[in-house]
Amino acid sequence: MPIIVFLITILLSFSAWAQTEIYAQDSQWLALLHYQPQLISKDESTIDSDNFFLSPVGKYNPEAELAATIHLFEDTTDNDKKCLFPARYKWLKKKGLISKPFPKCEEWESFYDDIRPAGVTLLFTNAYMNNPASLFGHTLLRIDTARKGTQLLAHGANYGAFTGEQNGLLFAIYGLTGGYFGGFTVKPYYQIVNEYNNIENRDIWELNLNLSPEELDFTMAHLWEIGQTRTSYYFFTENCSYMLLELLDAVRPDLKLSQQFPVHAIPLDTFKAVASRPDFVKGINYRPSRQNKIIYRYKQMNSAQKEVYKDIIKNQNFDYRNLSEQEKAGVIETAYQYVQYQYVAEKLELGDYRKQSFKLLKERNSLGKNDNLKELTEGKNPLQAHESAQTGIGIGNHNGEMFQQINGRPAYTSLLDRSYGLLSGAEINFLNIAARHYDNSNKFVLQNLKIVGITSIFPVDFMFRPISYNIHAELNREMNPETEDEGYVFEIHGGAGGAYALTDNIKAYGFVNNHLGYGGFLPHNSYAGIGPEVGIYADYGKWRLLASAEKVFATSKFADKMKYNAGISFDLNKNMALQLNYKFNDNHGHNEEETMLNWQIFY
Amino acid sequence: MIVSLRNSYLKRRKTLKKSLLTVAAVLAAGMFSANAHAVDSTGCGLGSLAWRGQKGPIPQLLAVTTNGTFGNQTFGISSGTSGCDPHGRITGGTGSMALAFLENNMEQFAMDASAGHGETIDTLAGILNVDSEKLGEISKTNFATLFPSDNVDAVDVTVNLLALI
Repeated sequence: MPIIVFLITILLSFSAWAQTEIYAQDSQWLALLHYQPQLISKDESTIDSDNFFLSPVGKYNPEAELAATIHLFEDTTDNDKKCLFPARYKWLKKKGLISKPFPKCEEWESFYDDIRPAGVTLLFTNAYMNNPASLFGHTLLRIDTARKGTQLLAHGANYGAFTGEQNGLLFAIYGLTGGYFGGFTVKPYYQIVNEYNNIENRDIWELNLNLSPEELDFTMAHLWEIGQTRTSYYFFTENCSYMLLELLDAVRPDLKLSQQFPVHAIPLDTFKAVASRPDFVKGINYRPSRQNKIIYRYKQMNSAQKEVYKDIIKNQNFDYRNLSEQEKAGVIETAYQYVQYQYVAEKLELGDYRKQSFKLLKERNSLGKNDNLKELTEGKNPLQAHESAQTGIGIGNHNGEMFQQINGRPAYTSLLDRSYGLLSGAEINFLNIAARHYDNSNKFVLQNLKIVGITSIFPVDFMFRPISYNIHAELNREMNPETEDEGYVFEIHGGAGGAYALTDNIKAYGFVNNHLGYGGFLPHNSYAGIGPEVGIYADYGKWRLLASAEKVFATSKFADKMKYNAGISFDLNKNMALQLNYKFNDNHGHNEEETMLNWQIFY
Repeated sequence: MIVSLRNSYLKRRKTLKKSLLTVAAVLAAGMFSANAHAVDSTGCGLGSLAWRGQKGPIPQLLAVTTNGTFGNQTFGISSGTSGCDPHGRITGGTGSMALAFLENNMEQFAMDASAGHGETIDTLAGILNVDSEKLGEISKTNFATLFPSDNVDAVDVTVNLLALI
């Protein structure tokens, strides 16, 4: 008899086990626990907090975690723990794996009530060239609100690293090696708008997602679950954008978003991936930066308005001359925004800021309701930007010798690439590699490895005075003209300067660059140099031109040269371009001349 | 023992996978070194800081929106960055919601009130459950009551606004 009981128990637990085994491989369960396939081992969860797993082996074992979760809800009274997992509960209930009710959870309920969800929007903010951590832009979620009023009363849910005080280098090292923990935070959307639009002057793009009411509830529930956890933060891989994809995958596993980004998740790429999923997007909305709003308003002004406006913001001369009431209102509202901009940029003392603001407010209050200027409502959609990865093939002539080249890079954009939907004047290149075959010598060589290259050319005008800069670290194959030895030179160079817009499409710029180079085949192995550079950058949409001249004064004769570069690029379509480059270096009578035609595709 | 060995092994593999990219971006980011400072608390909103005469925290606010840099709050307990609202969430009654909103949007509300329309008027009308057209008119007509001087703070404006409607 005891043996029969024993056997029945075994059989029952075996069938329960078989059942959990099947459900444990359900795509939504795997996504809820953030299991990701690994290269050479079993699946592993991205989440690193122990409190996220109910089973001691839960991080690696979906079945054990499922059994432990069922046990929690069915067999225990640990309500504090149950309250941490409302999404798991919903899923288990839907699958019929549990029957007990979900307990009363004050914190979770007040979270839900405060947010008062009505929908989900994915936000993309464009690049912020003043911070290396923001060069690729940023994404975060907005939980739209059902509150009366506007979506300013919605909440943003942001995944980021908890860093504490760090200097830039440590920040970079920790950020890249998983030294920081990342987690979710929420805050009102009006704060996010202030930070991005008004303080950092970055555009926000709002992608409204098409979720059912059940999916919306599930998003909230799962946000609550992972909101309690921490994960190792990796700047390129498990970053702000990637974690949002895992969150959306948990809501709708068919999206399969996270698996599209196993190596690096560039915010705009993830934004495009979400937009590409069928029936997942309802619409897109643009929220321009304060700076873009000011520029748009200024461009609409008539010449009398422009004069008055300049006189106010430059000379604090509040003489409106004979502008009509609506023209005056247009000037005042623009000037008011500019005063706010100046204060944030620390170009205006508090006392002056208050005085000028209040003067404008009082004057505006004496006028009618409307002004004569339209607000900016449309921008260049980043979804239409070229893809981030690029590869190209080219043919050229180097000092009379023909060569063929193949090149590529994983990210992100060059000055000569189509700028639509990105920042025109911003270049961010990572791991750009070029290899060549030279005909005469019949050799195949690594020509250039651009580890990183960042250039920012933004014109100074009477309102805005951005600093233009460039910074590059690269390995180049070069020849010492004196000995005709060839070898590799590792060079770091860059500098700061300014740019000026000659027309809307053409900018002239100047840099003072520093050069540091190292190469084993060079005399003294290394050199340092300083080089003033001037150039022209033209962006006409379908084609771009970049031409520059730099005189480098260096400690080594090898690096002491006059450099001329010119490039022009034509789009064949959104993701295909033809580029022609010309380069001429004069190195104490040893000239180096090169012409290359390159066919590029973006993917 | 086995688990911890496995953990350290997995950790190492993860590090290896990322080492190439690491080299690249350490170089990139190291050369800037500025601006990547993090903050623990960034105080209240932009508008309130300006109108209250607190100038210091503006650069800290600047740091908040970079991808990586956030405070060390935990979610659901004191998430977000606002010193005005420890939960980082819109909560409470009409008065406290209006105050929290104005603390973050004083300077824009001042212009919208002065002109008699705008997004902050629409938002406040929602919070206060009044018609936004009407709130615009009231604010425009009574602008001098709402903003009696240039050093008024968000509490004053909230009190003045609630008294008007």
